[in-house]
Amino acid sequence: MSTGIQESETEADTEEQDTAAEESAAQRQRMETKRQRAAERDLQEKAEEELDDSENAVELKVFRYDPEVEGKEEPRFDTFHVPFFKGMTVLDALIYARDHFDSSLTFRHSCRQAICGSDALFINGRQRLGCKTQMVDLDWPVRIEPLPHQDVVKDLVVDMEHFYDQMESVEPYFDPEETPKKSDLEEQRQDRENREKIKMSTRCIWCGACMSSCNIAAGDNEYLGPAAINKAYRFAMDEREGENMKQHRLNIIEQEHGVWRCQTQFSCTEVCPKDIPLTEHIQELKREAVKNNLKFW
Amino acid sequence: MSQSYDRGTVEDFGRWKEFSAGMWAWIFHKFTGWVLVGYLFTHIAVLSTATQGATTYTQTIRGLEALAIVRVLEVGLLAVAVFHILNGVRLLFVDLGVGLEAQDKSFYASLVLSGAIVVASVPTFVSGAF
Amino acid sequence: MAEHYSSFNRGNTRWFLQRITAVFLIGVLAFHFMLLHFVNHAAEITFLGTQARMSQVGYFGTMIAFLVTATFHGVNGVYNALINQGLEGTQKQAVKWVLVVASLVLVAQGSRTALYMAGIIA
Repeated sequence: MSTGIQESETEADTEEQDTAAEESAAQRQRMETKRQRAAERDLQEKAEEELDDSENAVELKVFRYDPEVEGKEEPRFDTFHVPFFKGMTVLDALIYARDHFDSSLTFRHSCRQAICGSDALFINGRQRLGCKTQMVDLDWPVRIEPLPHQDVVKDLVVDMEHFYDQMESVEPYFDPEETPKKSDLEEQRQDRENREKIKMSTRCIWCGACMSSCNIAAGDNEYLGPAAINKAYRFAMDEREGENMKQHRLNIIEQEHGVWRCQTQFSCTEVCPKDIPLTEHIQELKREAVKNNLKFW
Repeated sequence: MSQSYDRGTVEDFGRWKEFSAGMWAWIFHKFTGWVLVGYLFTHIAVLSTATQGATTYTQTIRGLEALAIVRVLEVGLLAVAVFHILNGVRLLFVDLGVGLEAQDKSFYASLVLSGAIVVASVPTFVSGAF
Repeated sequence: MAEHYSSFNRGNTRWFLQRITAVFLIGVLAFHFMLLHFVNHAAEITFLGTQARMSQVGYFGTMIAFLVTATFHGVNGVYNALINQGLEGTQKQAVKWVLVVASLVLVAQGSRTALYMAGIIA
């Protein structure tokens, strides 16, 4: 549904017939529907007023697709005009559009502060977090699409299953066999330098922006992808990781569809909302793997 | 997911305006690589005339070099080789983890430098053919 | 993902060799271009000139090394590009062997030509 400002029909609300002592169920329902419609009308009217009041309105072009609803199976772009306020993010605008104009507009969001990783979107041709992207930093109108290279389930929602599978395939945990016994020490310490080394790699929020931006991941479905390799880096470079597990992990990432597929296009590094130097980490793992191999010669 | 909509790969090339420096570097490196490996096979084929005797070899090469189109293609080959070398140096540094922050600038630098070297070489390459 | 390992990992070795050959090729390709376009003009090449160059052991050896490394670097690059496109299974095996055979033919023919050029066989 487009934003167009809808003519508000003035419906007479005075039909209520209090004369009848027993209100039929049907009528109660009718009243309920009417109240709802009135509430929606109020919201829309309010939106119109806000649009008129605000100095600026942002134009959003939002990708829409719903395989379950007749007439919406064909992907299309809907336009929404949303009143702009200072500090407005793309996510704010989407929420406004959903709440005021079209409640069927679907997108994921949760924390709204760039930590849950739910709202990675393709905004003006780039993977960004909706909640971390300021409207003022974009060219208007703003084009919002679901992440490329992932199947679209509905509107802006993509299927993340494959991404999660890749993340888990690097076995992102220490081997409990190799961690010190509880009796030996109360906690397992990591020195500051090592913590500093893996610091950035721990910041991944599993938003999938990197994987979506990667040209190679797009063509090769088996490629682990930047996020999963970064996850492997986070453990492989951690001094607390046991020797056996590290060898095992290197074996995982240096298979044909592991680190060697990275072509250093830096797309992932550029889109990462947490500024993780993904390419750098992948390159370091490549060198680590080569060194590891040369040791046996 | 049977009910999902796959937008296919059309977007990849349709969105070329949104490509970043690193992507362009990759595309050019790959393209120049294909050209160079193609040329390698052709080159050996042409030089193989040496097995047919000295005169055939000399005449073949001189005959080819007399064609203006061959000279122009050679300038193209130079451009391709110089870019592949310079961007290759850039990629080796990237592999060593050196200067990753400047990877876009080093790509532009290799482009500009390739252009300059090619322009400077044009006179030598086409002399006598036109 | 991790079904089978081998201590001699192919992807690893190919990646490493691609870099090593690159370093060598940067120098030799630049030298080759300089020598045959600036020092000697390509249009003035004669069999005698070629023979004079190829008779020097160092030059001959460099050219053979140039041929072998360039073939590896180029063909391996093509193979990588195809894997990046998602080539797999039987197709991948077929492509691999076609490329291996093509490389061998190229190196063999190139070496044969080099021997003719050096005047070792005539």
